[in-house]
Amino acid sequence: MSSRVCRTCGGSDIDVDQARGSAVCTGCGSVLEDNIIVSEVQFVEGSGGVSSAVGQFVSADGPVKAPLLGSGFHTGVGKESRAQTLQNGKRQIQQLGSQLQLNQHCLDTAFNFFKLVVSKHLTRGRRTEHVIAACLYLVCRTEGTPHMLLDLSDLLQVNVYILGKTFLLLTRELCINAPAIDPCLYIPRFAHMLEFGDKNHEVSMTALRLVQRMKRDWMHTGRRPSGLCGAALLVAARMHKFRRSVKDVIGVVKVCQTTLRKRLTEFEDTPTSQLTIDEFMRVDLEQECDPPSFTAGQHKVKMQQLEQELARKLDEVEGEISCYKEEIETELEKSRPKLRGIYAAYAKEMGPSRTTADPEDEDALSSPADPEDKEGDDAALQAAAQRLTQDFLRQVIQEEEGGGAPQEAETEGAGRPAQGAPLASILGNASLGLQESFHTFEPPEPDQNPDGDPSPSGELDLEGIDDQEIDKYILNEKEVEVKTELWTKQNADYLKEQKEKEERITKEKEQGTYKEKKKKYKKREHIEAATAGEAIEKMLERKKISSKINYDVLRDLNQPAGSPASEPPGGAALVPRKRLSRRRRKAGDANAELSASATVMTKRFRRLISSTPRKKKAAPQVETAVAMETASEAVPEAPPAAVPDAGPAPAEAPTPLETEEEEEEEAEEDCVSALQLVGDYGCEEEEVF
Amino acid sequence: MDSNNDEALDIIVTNVVATFRTRCHLNLRKIALEGTNVIYKPEVGKVLMKLRKPKITASIWSSGKIICTGATSEEEAKLGARRLARCLQKLGFKVRFSAFRVVNVLAVCSMPFAVHLVDFTKNNRPIASYEPELHPAATYRIKNLKATVQVFSTGSLTVTGMLLSHDHTHTHLPSLPSFIYS
Repeated sequence: MSSRVCRTCGGSDIDVDQARGSAVCTGCGSVLEDNIIVSEVQFVEGSGGVSSAVGQFVSADGPVKAPLLGSGFHTGVGKESRAQTLQNGKRQIQQLGSQLQLNQHCLDTAFNFFKLVVSKHLTRGRRTEHVIAACLYLVCRTEGTPHMLLDLSDLLQVNVYILGKTFLLLTRELCINAPAIDPCLYIPRFAHMLEFGDKNHEVSMTALRLVQRMKRDWMHTGRRPSGLCGAALLVAARMHKFRRSVKDVIGVVKVCQTTLRKRLTEFEDTPTSQLTIDEFMRVDLEQECDPPSFTAGQHKVKMQQLEQELARKLDEVEGEISCYKEEIETELEKSRPKLRGIYAAYAKEMGPSRTTADPEDEDALSSPADPEDKEGDDAALQAAAQRLTQDFLRQVIQEEEGGGAPQEAETEGAGRPAQGAPLASILGNASLGLQESFHTFEPPEPDQNPDGDPSPSGELDLEGIDDQEIDKYILNEKEVEVKTELWTKQNADYLKEQKEKEERITKEKEQGTYKEKKKKYKKREHIEAATAGEAIEKMLERKKISSKINYDVLRDLNQPAGSPASEPPGGAALVPRKRLSRRRRKAGDANAELSASATVMTKRFRRLISSTPRKKKAAPQVETAVAMETASEAVPEAPPAAVPDAGPAPAEAPTPLETEEEEEEEAEEDCVSALQLVGDYGCEEEEVF
Repeated sequence: MDSNNDEALDIIVTNVVATFRTRCHLNLRKIALEGTNVIYKPEVGKVLMKLRKPKITASIWSSGKIICTGATSEEEAKLGARRLARCLQKLGFKVRFSAFRVVNVLAVCSMPFAVHLVDFTKNNRPIASYEPELHPAATYRIKNLKATVQVFSTGSLTVTGMLLSHDHTHTHLPSLPSFIYS
């Protein structure tokens, strides 16, 4: 209390009485202050003699003004949502951060980033998980902790590149320049994981020197730092006579074998690899190398040049021979029939009367062949393709005919040529007809189309387009049939599905129950399991939570609860049935709770402590369950602990059970004995967590 | 130094992506069954048609929107698009060629020297970004040209963006050496 001066007499001797709340000048007796405002903690006695402090809890990052009920409701809702988002984010950050073993300072920084992100509305349209992972990774980078993006993606089971995308977006929007990753940062971490014991420090130092050397030799630009570290550690380990195989290193460093080998070979190519161990520790070579991909590129270029020179020389020698070759080839091309694609060739093959078909086709094909010089190559390719596909096509047609008319199978051989003849004539007519139609189609078109700009009028400018070549892109009727058959065969499943869907829709329309089904997100399927333990296992399988959970311990936790539950003699068969069905239902509900958690253990505690819906059951049950988690020996205590509970609250127990079990017959509830209640409590203990 | 580089650098346009509209509904099944070199993907709802002469792959949707990729120059892209429209016309659809627009151009260029990416990124801080864990190249975004340059440590560059091909060579060449030598 600052000493004040009395107004009346000027004396500075002022007596402040806290009890009365007044300040009085001792000189003149004038009262300077009445009803002094005091900042003290006050206690109030509550029911049962419990004394509690008076006041409201205001959190640092809660809503700015205290949550008002009634007045100010509208603004309260908006603030609430933001507060909730931030709260949710903070919780997730804490969760994820603790898994990464980040200290509190980092987590706070990450939360600040998250607040920035939310205020810039960057969380819209993105999963909160991704955003939070990106915030955490940003903190890791700025602080320089040895965490990789891969670690985060492992924890979340998300693709690295998706996280990377979010991370890059954050750096851009928040204008934060994260320092580049230095492979040296990862070495202590990996060395620790490889367990070098006492010599850990020495091996790390050697590996560090190796990495620095690699950096100088330009091996590290554009590569994942973890790969380099892996190679360096492997070499360092061998140098210090530790046996670490490639597999060990890979498991720690998370790259694949090929990458590691490649790094090692690249290092081998550098002049440093020629030094002995002692020399390496003492001397540092001045010379720097080019990056390995650069040298590889140069090498390739050189090889290409050599090849070109060789080819040129060969050409000079074989000049004459090639001339003769070309002449022969042109002759061959002229005599070879031109093919218009797989289907044309196949269609031709069908008819035995090829002589009638050929000249017509040749006429059709020779005209487009003239302007094209590349036809020779294409024809060769097509011939080869045609040979390969002919068998397939024949098989397809055979299957059809064989399946359709098994009797005709015998006369198949005769059947096809008989079919072939009319088909060939149809083919001939069809191809001719089509050709004619196309030829008549073309001349009017250029006259009709205006020569002006194609864009405003929307008409197609035909300049420079070779129509005859385009004709080749269109199949004629026979080919269309063949292709239709093939396609329907290939996509039979899909077409069936479509038909069924349509039928279903028409049926529902008739019934009047047709609803426009929008795409719904897949809801979590309800897991059916006999015991809570099974349910937990199934859920974990589905959720693919980390393999670091010891399932045996999980199972053990369930069993002791199961054994006292099974102990009381199942006098009424109803009770075990009830128990099972109750378990099933409650297991499902428990899973709904559990499936929200990443790690089972930590979340369980929170769920136990913070979840409200079940807490019609008294607090002691929660405590006993908690005790059970920590020490499985406590489990036998649970039923005896439950017994005194059964005493004071037998009336309570049936009512919550009744309300939850609609399907159970309520009449039975009254006849349940105290012992059976104990058994029921035992089973409930299971599912509480 | 710059003039030397101008002669040594050749920027090769490797891919041009263009879209256009046919202003009419297209029956994909008919195209799939009656055209050669087509792949029909009913699950996605499009048809892929590959032309040989300008080597172009076109994705055709039933709404009439078509995307052509694989051309090596803009003129080629336009020619290919027109050929495609002609082909569809012959199949019997009332095709009109409208709204032809080049969407993206990809060019490749190679420097005769290697680039130290970490220093490069440090010097060009907000514009360049380099994440070795994700991609081996440093990405450099030029906002006013709306282009992205990816710089690899071997000295090769890929330039992507909505520029016309002659723009690439004129605007890009002088800017490149300055970025890299700094």
